[in-house]
Amino acid sequence: MTEQRNYDLDRREFLSRLSKAGIAVAGCGVASYLLYDAKGPRPGVRAEDLVTLADFSVPQKDGQTISIVQGSDRVETVDKAIELLGGIKRFVKKDETVAIKPNVAFASPPMLGATAHPQLVAEVVQLCYKGGAKQVLVTDNPINDPASCFTLSGIGKAVSQAGAKVVLPKDHLFKHTTLAGGKLIKNWPIFYEPFAKVDKLIGIAPLKHHHRAGASMTMKNWYGLLGGRRNVFHQDINTIIAELAMMVKPTLVILDATYVMMTNGPTGGSVSDLKRANTLIASTDCVAADSYGCSLLELTVSDLPYLAKAEKAGAGTTDYQSLKPKLAVIS
Amino acid sequence: MGSVRRRVCQKVGLESAISICLLTALFLIGLGIFIKQSDYDMSRFGIGTIPAGLSSQQLDVNREEKPVLGSLVSAGFKPLSEAEIYNPENLYEKINGKAPLYLESGFVELFTQRFISDTDESLWMELFVYDMTAIKNAFSVYSVQKRADVELLPSMQFAYKTSNGLYFVHGKYYIELVGSAESAELLGAMGQVMQNISSNLRIDKDAKIDKLALFPEEDLVLGSTKLYLTNAFGFEGLTDTFIARYKFGDEIITAFLSQKDSAAEAITVFENYYKFLLDNGGKELPTTNPKIRFVDFYGTLEIVSVAGPFVFGIHEAENPQLAAKVQKRLINKLLESTETPQK
Repeated sequence: MTEQRNYDLDRREFLSRLSKAGIAVAGCGVASYLLYDAKGPRPGVRAEDLVTLADFSVPQKDGQTISIVQGSDRVETVDKAIELLGGIKRFVKKDETVAIKPNVAFASPPMLGATAHPQLVAEVVQLCYKGGAKQVLVTDNPINDPASCFTLSGIGKAVSQAGAKVVLPKDHLFKHTTLAGGKLIKNWPIFYEPFAKVDKLIGIAPLKHHHRAGASMTMKNWYGLLGGRRNVFHQDINTIIAELAMMVKPTLVILDATYVMMTNGPTGGSVSDLKRANTLIASTDCVAADSYGCSLLELTVSDLPYLAKAEKAGAGTTDYQSLKPKLAVIS
Repeated sequence: MGSVRRRVCQKVGLESAISICLLTALFLIGLGIFIKQSDYDMSRFGIGTIPAGLSSQQLDVNREEKPVLGSLVSAGFKPLSEAEIYNPENLYEKINGKAPLYLESGFVELFTQRFISDTDESLWMELFVYDMTAIKNAFSVYSVQKRADVELLPSMQFAYKTSNGLYFVHGKYYIELVGSAESAELLGAMGQVMQNISSNLRIDKDAKIDKLALFPEEDLVLGSTKLYLTNAFGFEGLTDTFIARYKFGDEIITAFLSQKDSAAEAITVFENYYKFLLDNGGKELPTTNPKIRFVDFYGTLEIVSVAGPFVFGIHEAENPQLAAKVQKRLINKLLESTETPQK
């Protein structure tokens, strides 16, 4: 009898059930319509809140784009390298604020060459003040604990004594950016605030072997500006380095090859990883500086695909010889 | 009434069958997603994962055996930093671009801490204890990073020191002690740490790397053996490849050896590697034995051979006579070790 009640429908019950089913379907349709987002998922930050790093470059001068100085004393070689490019006053004007971005990626002693040498960074700070700078900031966003990195690398103490202000990364100093024409840097947090109000930007990097990228030089040094889980970019390391070269337009870069980390980079860990090359390069063109630098690692430009990518993107030239490098030897 | 009941029963049966089919399909879809998601390769995103072959239970066992770094450091040094532990997901935060080397070699955890001298604050060292799951993996990361011209330490099978550091394998652990300065005092303290680790950090003492014994000892350069877990000599198919160097006056000959799971697999790798050499500019040289191939590779000699599960030979030799000599010794050693080589 029960089955008969359930399945022998009369017209009234049939219409009643049909109406209920119709209302349910219509309800789902209305709910879907109301909840439907035609624009799809939006980035975490509104387009108007995205930031763009300023262009810190200085006008180019023929024959004064890259200098290569040989010598064992970093203070002497960097002084000479900058002098060959026209002197510090070409890069730093009176009352300007300068940001220096050394490679302070690791909490390791300067002797290991995994970070920029404190003596070199301090000398560049002093040069900036000699050029008339009002204030010099030294900053980086290391992967290790920032305070430990600045302390154990010796950079914190050295630049503080030279009169610079050390800026450690904090969450509120990061803003999202999107690189025009970029494939990877899209709505990505970068260490932005320290560079938002400065007039000039100088990068200082040691020349190192890098297990993933082949070499870590001035372009790779900008990796420190990336926030978030930036290690995801290691999967496409050549593209991200090239995009960093597009994103950052520095005033000057300095590549320190007084000692070169030939193996086990980027951390190294032994002085046995280092080879004395007694060379320092200064340039307004990151791509040119790194293209020369790779030869000191016994690599060619074609061994580092990011160089060609950056050149193609207009970030500089791999043909550093065409720039007629200024050369000097300090005996 | 009977026909109505039959109709109803047929209808119910059909609906039940459709429902079961739909539920089964949904279950299979869910199962598929579960399997796929539980086995995705985080390393594609630069994030490590639990090494293949290691269950979560084994991982838990490892966690119970965490080294207490403070207890391994000798008197005269005190902690300079808190002990830190890194796993495959955040290893890059400690060693950045070098993380893939470890992640591709069975890395599970890194325990690290800095210690400073009680009397001289310029002297500090950082202890890195990498749990690599197995001694073979630990040896691999040790050997591929091994510096040239170092002093081997005879107290352990795989250990050496440089002027500022000490590096060794202890069971499944690869250990580095990196000093802040080139200091005899610091190296002495590191040596003490190494002894403490050797005595106190529990390992499987039966774990050994038996393949190293397959290399002939005559003219072998001490400490020259390496293990490439993947991509030896730039060829993806050459995995678990041991190499050893032999010195004859000023000349060095590099021998290699890789054991496959079966003779059939070894032949496939042998053929593919030979093809790889030819595809990359090598020139075929005459041979009378189908299991030995000779390739002129830009003026150097490559010998590729296969015997049982072993693919072995000589890499980039400049002196063909010496290459043949080492090759012959290698064959004899393999025959001596096992007449029918099996894993």
